[in-house]
Amino acid sequence: MIRRAAALPGQVAGAFARLDSHHLNGGQQLAVKYFAVAMVLFLAQLLFGLLAAIQFVWPGFLFDLVDFSVNRMVHINAMVVWMLYGFIGSVYWFLEDESGTEIAGLKWGETAFYVLTAAVTVVVLVYLLVQTGPGNDTTRWLINEGREYIEAPRWADIGIVAVMLVFFYNVAGTFAKGRWSGISGVLTLDLVALAGLYMAGMFYATNITVDQYWWWWVIHLWVEATWEVLVGCIMAWSLMKLLGARRRIVQTWLYIEVALMFGSGILGLGHHYFWIGTPDYWLAIGGFFSALEPIPLVAMVVHSIYDSGTHNFRSSNHPALAWIIAHTFGNFLGAGVWGFMHTLPQINLYTHGTQWSASHGHLAFFGAYATINIAFFYLAVQQWRGNVWMGGNLAHGWRWKWAMGLLNFGVLGMTVALLIAGYEQSFIERAVEGSTWSGYFAAQTHPWFVQSMVWRLVFGLMTLAGAVLLTWDLLTIGAGETRAALVIEPESPTGETGTVAAPAA
Amino acid sequence: MIQPVELQDFLLTFFAAAAIILGGASYALCYAWARLGRRPGLLRWAYAAYAVLAVSVWILTATAHLDGYWRTLAAAMLVGYFLAPRAIFRLCADTHAAEDDAVPPPSHPPQEPSP
Repeated sequence: MIRRAAALPGQVAGAFARLDSHHLNGGQQLAVKYFAVAMVLFLAQLLFGLLAAIQFVWPGFLFDLVDFSVNRMVHINAMVVWMLYGFIGSVYWFLEDESGTEIAGLKWGETAFYVLTAAVTVVVLVYLLVQTGPGNDTTRWLINEGREYIEAPRWADIGIVAVMLVFFYNVAGTFAKGRWSGISGVLTLDLVALAGLYMAGMFYATNITVDQYWWWWVIHLWVEATWEVLVGCIMAWSLMKLLGARRRIVQTWLYIEVALMFGSGILGLGHHYFWIGTPDYWLAIGGFFSALEPIPLVAMVVHSIYDSGTHNFRSSNHPALAWIIAHTFGNFLGAGVWGFMHTLPQINLYTHGTQWSASHGHLAFFGAYATINIAFFYLAVQQWRGNVWMGGNLAHGWRWKWAMGLLNFGVLGMTVALLIAGYEQSFIERAVEGSTWSGYFAAQTHPWFVQSMVWRLVFGLMTLAGAVLLTWDLLTIGAGETRAALVIEPESPTGETGTVAAPAA
Repeated sequence: MIQPVELQDFLLTFFAAAAIILGGASYALCYAWARLGRRPGLLRWAYAAYAVLAVSVWILTATAHLDGYWRTLAAAMLVGYFLAPRAIFRLCADTHAAEDDAVPPPSHPPQEPSP
């Protein structure tokens, strides 16, 4: 038994080593490991989301075994972690290309990956098997910190910060050793903010208002500031790779988007401070800056149309480009439209914490983050196979198209179902019944709400089917493909594009 | 302090807020397409989309009781959503200026459609 346990780390490392490909550099080998775990967590996220959705329809389902509170927690935590895995993997993927040198301290990076993956596994097992504690320091350190969305126990918090510091050393050290660029400068500064803001969720205040005040620094300033910038860096590099867009252009746009994102997003934090006991001026600050938050998203739509027009949709990887287009519009609709619909305090008074928030959350997270990660997975698998053809007439091309269709329609369907439920809750529970307990139950049992939950489950199943098909496609796409990828050279200043076929490795 | 939305204005407020962003994006899209493809006819659609946005701002202002200093938010949305797509297009054109001669320079917009 002990011998078997001692052999386990070696077996795990051996299993991951099978993902290595001689077509990849050191950073890319590590990135593929991150992507593999990200996909596993993505499927876990959908599975636990589905269990939670079933419990909305049949409340007794798995009662006292895996309660709704646990399912919801694992669903959301798995989402946060798989997205981070995708972002970290994407950065490792282009680090050597962007810096022109080998990664500084790659061995540390590999060790950090195994430490993080082991920690995530242990945390999830504790969530599922232990679930709760007496609510003292032992609970906080070993079981659950009790803070929504960042429930990881304190030991895992410290581990996450340590891993992030190693990741930061890999990134900053590599650029310092090689060459800096606009993308690398923005990325490095963003990682400082990303790691620093996580610290805001690692101390307690006895006053709930103060505690929530700092907690939102992690949630909002990660998701609506640092993550968006991180995605901007990944997007900039992807556009150069996919469309042959020129560095000067994507970097200029990266600066513009960063300025707009931070300009509106940092004080947009105020929309979370409306009802937690903070001073009244947050109503004005939150309302005003939240109204500005869609502007960078509108800018992205205009710019994507402009770039698509100038490049005539010519790309080396059709699935990746399709997912990047889905990202542009998903980000705009999910974060922009669904966000602004209920961000002014005059209406947020009713919608706050209803299924309306869940509707916005589903479309915004999928549209802004899941899509860009999936696009990058396709970029990675193309190189992993030896830079093979991924344009038109792709063998089994229906798989990626159907996966994309099922995932997008599934999430959009869930979003609309939750929107109807949220509207009904805002109206009946909040506006008519005045946020009373009887109002809460009246809203939860209303036919609109009940039917919406059924539809959410149906579209959730569609989403899961899309994710399973996506997994199958990522595992098989390009296998047996003998044609070389279309290589799109960056455009010359005269506007001529050199397009040559690279030899298949 | 804020004055909450009336019950009868609930649905209207949600859709007005959504229509502001959708109108803004449609205006930006049509404007960019019109300028890129030199299709003045599309400018009509761009301004129609902006009109939808303007009406939506007016409805939101009324239903959400955006009074006092909140009025400046309505004004900022009207001005911002009108100017931002133009500024963004100019940035696009300037950043791409060296690589694509087919794009008309911002200083020569297509002819406005005659009413």
